[in-house]
Amino acid sequence: MSNRTTAAALAAAVAAATLMSAGANAQTANADKERCYGISMAGKNDCAATGNNSCAGQSKADYDAKAWKYVAKGSCGTMEVTLKDGMKRKGTLAPM
Amino acid sequence: MAADRSPRAGAGLKPQHQRHILDGRPDVGWFEVHAENYMGAGGPPHRFLERVRALYPVSLHGVGLSIGSAGGLTPGHLGRLGAVAERYQPFLISEHLAWSTHDGVFLNDLLPLPYDDATLALVIRHVDEVQSALGRRILIENPSTYLRFKGEEMEETEFLGALARRSGCGLLLDVNNVVVSAANRGFDPLAYLDAFPVEHVGEIHLAGHAVLQDSDGCLLVDTHDRSVPPEVWDLHRRLIERLGPLPTLIEWDADVPAWPILEAEVAQAESVLRHGDELRAHAA
Amino acid sequence: MPPDMRPLAHAQQSFRRGVLQARLQVPAAVAGLPGPSRERRFSVYRNNVKASLVAALKAKFTVIERLVGEEFFEATALVFVERHPPRSPVLAEYGGGFASFLEVFEPAADLPYLPDVARLEWARHRAFHAADATPVAIDRLATLAADDLHDTRLTLHPATAVAASPWPIVSIWTTNTFDAETRRIGPDHAGEIALITRPQDDVLVNVLPPGSDLLIAALREGRALGTAIGQAPASLDLARTLALLFRAGAVVGLLKGISE
Repeated sequence: MSNRTTAAALAAAVAAATLMSAGANAQTANADKERCYGISMAGKNDCAATGNNSCAGQSKADYDAKAWKYVAKGSCGTMEVTLKDGMKRKGTLAPM
Repeated sequence: MAADRSPRAGAGLKPQHQRHILDGRPDVGWFEVHAENYMGAGGPPHRFLERVRALYPVSLHGVGLSIGSAGGLTPGHLGRLGAVAERYQPFLISEHLAWSTHDGVFLNDLLPLPYDDATLALVIRHVDEVQSALGRRILIENPSTYLRFKGEEMEETEFLGALARRSGCGLLLDVNNVVVSAANRGFDPLAYLDAFPVEHVGEIHLAGHAVLQDSDGCLLVDTHDRSVPPEVWDLHRRLIERLGPLPTLIEWDADVPAWPILEAEVAQAESVLRHGDELRAHAA
Repeated sequence: MPPDMRPLAHAQQSFRRGVLQARLQVPAAVAGLPGPSRERRFSVYRNNVKASLVAALKAKFTVIERLVGEEFFEATALVFVERHPPRSPVLAEYGGGFASFLEVFEPAADLPYLPDVARLEWARHRAFHAADATPVAIDRLATLAADDLHDTRLTLHPATAVAASPWPIVSIWTTNTFDAETRRIGPDHAGEIALITRPQDDVLVNVLPPGSDLLIAALREGRALGTAIGQAPASLDLARTLALLFRAGAVVGLLKGISE
């Protein structure tokens, strides 16, 4: 594409984009969760720097190296994936 | 804080309480923030703190400077602390007698130091470095500890006294940490407070702790996840009666309660400080 | 390091190792005291460190946690913490390597979309803390003459990020963020390009048209619009891409007539 035709295509796209955007700016988009997924994130106090409730050591001290024995069992089945072997499986893990 | 007013009680600032604080403008003396939570470039945390700062004095409490690191202060971090201080003009800046970074790895906890001469010399050097960079005095807080090191040469109170005298820093006396460390290391909290170099204290912290009981005995853990227990209130009252009012903070960082519950704790601390005023007026 | 600092450095080195490694090993410098054992005492620090770092990851990767469940997430995060502890005292900066870690974390290999969903979540977190800037409306672009448009460069908002994936990451993220019961997403669902922005306080996630990631990458490099569209496939829906970029507050400045 020459510069000239690019410029013309651009101008047309901008005109179309402006039409699409009429009445919808960044502010109103916040409320439009279907098209523009926005959620307020609470500011987080990331610095623990003090003990915290799960520090009660005893209970969780030892999840350590056995990690891979756990099986994913959240909502991972929400997405079906086709793996290399061609079999469709739910996204769950078999124990290793 | 205005010099002609008696020190007041404050609360740790939590985003959960944003609306209560900005809309209700509760009658608390000041708010304290963890400096590291405001080291991002922008966004809602800064917008919140700016609005709070316009209404209240703010104190800056560092949790990541690692003042006891054998390998030196984390490069760049002091500059970032300075930038937050510059932006929010806190009336107090504090850090901990602890370490958290070694060899570039940050462990996100206030880890203990052996109280000996070599450590003291190191901490004095680092406090000097911080105070020179910030151009002002900082307060150093007594930590909660769960163990002791072999070959320690002095008590924590001696260490803090020497640190304050030789570096010119002030001290932040965390009364809950005294109770926690006393139980864990086996000393008497009252004797600790008697030996504490109180003339350097510029701020007091109050908080709650957890009790972990097991067959070999009990450990107290500094959890900041509940109200201040009676034992801590009692020590606070004794301190204020002895020293007069000092800025006192309620720390509640985990399982953060609804604002009215935290506000009631601050009000209780405030009543202890006003009781201190009365005693002073009486004595005068 | 002065020689008298060596014992402390050594103690901190073994503290660091003892706190992070999977096996509990109390540093030799820790004294015995009456009551609770050295192991129990040291474990308080160990657990403070691990639990607080796992909690920090949890707060940033809530959709990953929902996808794999709490138990698996904690176990995964713990391995990440042990292998990739924070390098900065600012905890908001911790977790940037989690997505790449998930790529090579064998137990998660059957969930190949996890790393890209984690990238989307990390981009949202980054956007939350990014510098503030004021977005410009597309009307400003519309006032330019066609020839000027060609040479116009767009300055992107510091919060703006793009995550392109062969997996429908925005659909996965959306249902796991908003729906009490997650929607099922079929295996033939096309990949998605996520646009992450923060025009004001709220972090927004939008799906961009196919190929738009190449256009935005070129714009980010400072290419003018006319050159940047040459980097994208001819099939790119340019109008929709521009409308979305501006509507989401991704653009904060137009630099006109400056050649590259």
